Amino acid sequence: MKLLKKDLKEALRLISDDFELLLPGEGSGVSRFALWDGGDIDLSYGNTQLPPKDILFPHTEKMYSFKCATDVEVTEEAEAKSRIVFGIRPCDMRAIECMDKVFLEKGFTDSFYSRKREHTLFIAMGCTNPCRTCFCDSMGLTPGDAPAADILLVESDDSFEVKAQTQRGKEIAECFGRLLTDGKVQVSKVSCALKTKMSDDLPEKLSGMFEHPIWDEVGRACIGCATCTYVCPTCYCFDISLDNHGSEGVSFRCWDSCMFSDYTRMAGGHNPRPTKKERVRNRYMHKLSYFNERYGSALCVGCGRCVEKCPANLDITEFIDKVAEVRL
Amino acid sequence: MIDHSCSCEDNPLIPKICVVSDVIEETPDTKTFRIQTVDGKKPFLPKPGQLAMISIFGVGEAMFSITAQGEDYIDSAIKKVGVLTEALHSISPGQKIGVRGPYGNGFPIEGLEGFDLLFVGGGIGLAPLRSLIRHSLENRKNYGHIDILYGARSPEDLVFKDDLFENWTKQPDTIVHVTVDKADAVWDGNVGFVPAYLEELAFQPRNRKVIVCGPPIMIKYCSESLVRMGFDKKDVITTLEMRMKCGIGKCGRCNIGSKYICLDGPVFTLSELDDLPDEK
Ligand code: SF4
Ligand code: SF4
Ligand code: FES
Repeated sequence: MKLLKKDLKEALRLISDDFELLLPGEGSGVSRFALWDGGDIDLSYGNTQLPPKDILFPHTEKMYSFKCATDVEVTEEAEAKSRIVFGIRPCDMRAIECMDKVFLEKGFTDSFYSRKREHTLFIAMGCTNPCRTCFCDSMGLTPGDAPAADILLVESDDSFEVKAQTQRGKEIAECFGRLLTDGKVQVSKVSCALKTKMSDDLPEKLSGMFEHPIWDEVGRACIGCATCTYVCPTCYCFDISLDNHGSEGVSFRCWDSCMFSDYTRMAGGHNPRPTKKERVRNRYMHKLSYFNERYGSALCVGCGRCVEKCPANLDITEFIDKVAEVRL
Repeated sequence: MIDHSCSCEDNPLIPKICVVSDVIEETPDTKTFRIQTVDGKKPFLPKPGQLAMISIFGVGEAMFSITAQGEDYIDSAIKKVGVLTEALHSISPGQKIGVRGPYGNGFPIEGLEGFDLLFVGGGIGLAPLRSLIRHSLENRKNYGHIDILYGARSPEDLVFKDDLFENWTKQPDTIVHVTVDKADAVWDGNVGFVPAYLEELAFQPRNRKVIVCGPPIMIKYCSESLVRMGFDKKDVITTLEMRMKCGIGKCGRCNIGSKYICLDGPVFTLSELDDLPDEK
């Protein structure tokens, strides 16, 4: 089915009564996903500067509140709005798949995440014009495809092909009704701007390189600012903390970063990752080896944000290439 | 009254409100806290070696090993090391705390059946061991000869003295070996570090499993000694400590390589540890 670009706003309006719509937009000087105000739709964003992970995993999230003056009372927030994320790119959609594995699998379900996930649908947009630092095709993705999305939009000059990929996606597409016409869109194959020497055996190779001198080099360059983990669509580490005034308070969780020195420091003072070397090693290992071992895929989706934003110019694609060159 | 109508029973990150029903002073810096639900029940059913996330509302939460359990309670022996443990040490019976768990893999109790057991503990490391020692004594016929080797800095730093000098020594086919780094005027037992005493006692590896808990440096030296004595690394079990936040393998905090200590640990054999990167 096809949807003319000029009808897009109308199509979104048809579903905006039943869903909150989140679209790429500009807010406080950075591009990110934000609530649609019903205005014009700008499709020129490649991937937004801030990833969409906060939609399912907010930067700061209240878990429960308590009162402890005379007695303890714990109340939990209930939250379940139906939302549609429109215009998410294939890399970020793959990142959501990674988050799903972390928060929904392996023995425990994270209720805060799962409640939002159940009520969130994704309309993805295949990439036709890759950003300058993305390399998703090296990481096993196809820039034009987002298999986990409920609907995939394939863009041409004047229209989108609307591919419903799940039952919920079909129901949404039905809401577009008469705006849809028969037809397909022809697109040429897109290829990413950056190339890396990523390979299927690199995760395994890396796991044998824990003591390799390569970590001294990358550790020296890093300044420990944690920008890379903040902008990464798959970084999911969090801290649990509380905020109380007198006898009342809330317990909340917020994004944390393995790049901070305090991250693993224990109450007695011992820190198993005392220097930047161990911390950078942990991040790269997690992205390119540990996650593969635990969940069967890389935790880097090739979005290129960390490459673009690192103030010390650490570049995960260069790192991958170096590892590929190493002879063990 | 507790007004408590939420889905936290299914939400593993929300603590259950419990009561500290008793506080026992073990040493100048260690106390055992007996924990029950507000209606006097056991908060959950832990396996020996599992962990509990304990919180004081308004102060914070941290992970502790469960030292013992009874019909209607769990016990946790906690050493004063930071802000939360300071706060815990100042509470009196009757105070409400938050508890979630049980977490972690626990000791492989079935795998130990039929073997002689050697427990090696140092300092507060006897806390996690105690859950397993109690289990093996309660199911005495499932296990062979039991040796318990335990050491602390000084006689007053020995935890669970009633067990060490009374309860456990009375058990059939059970020997308790106690040592201190530094004696006081009345101490007439062994003086010396745990690894040295372990070498001196020269245990035979045949049909024996060893469970070692204590400060990392003690674990390291004991493991080396045990390997020298001929123990197979698969027969030596220990526990790891990492900083933890969620306890359920989500927050990313406690990983060593691809393993999460809160979920895949804290119990590992030495041969499993050999497969993990050296980042402990
Ligand atoms: S953005 Fe760069 S400098 Fe900052 S923590 Fe990440 S790797 Fe280090
Ligand atoms: S590691 Fe860098 S390139 Fe990979 S997903 Fe994260 S931000 Fe994107
Ligand atoms: S404590 Fe959160 S992953 Fe282990």
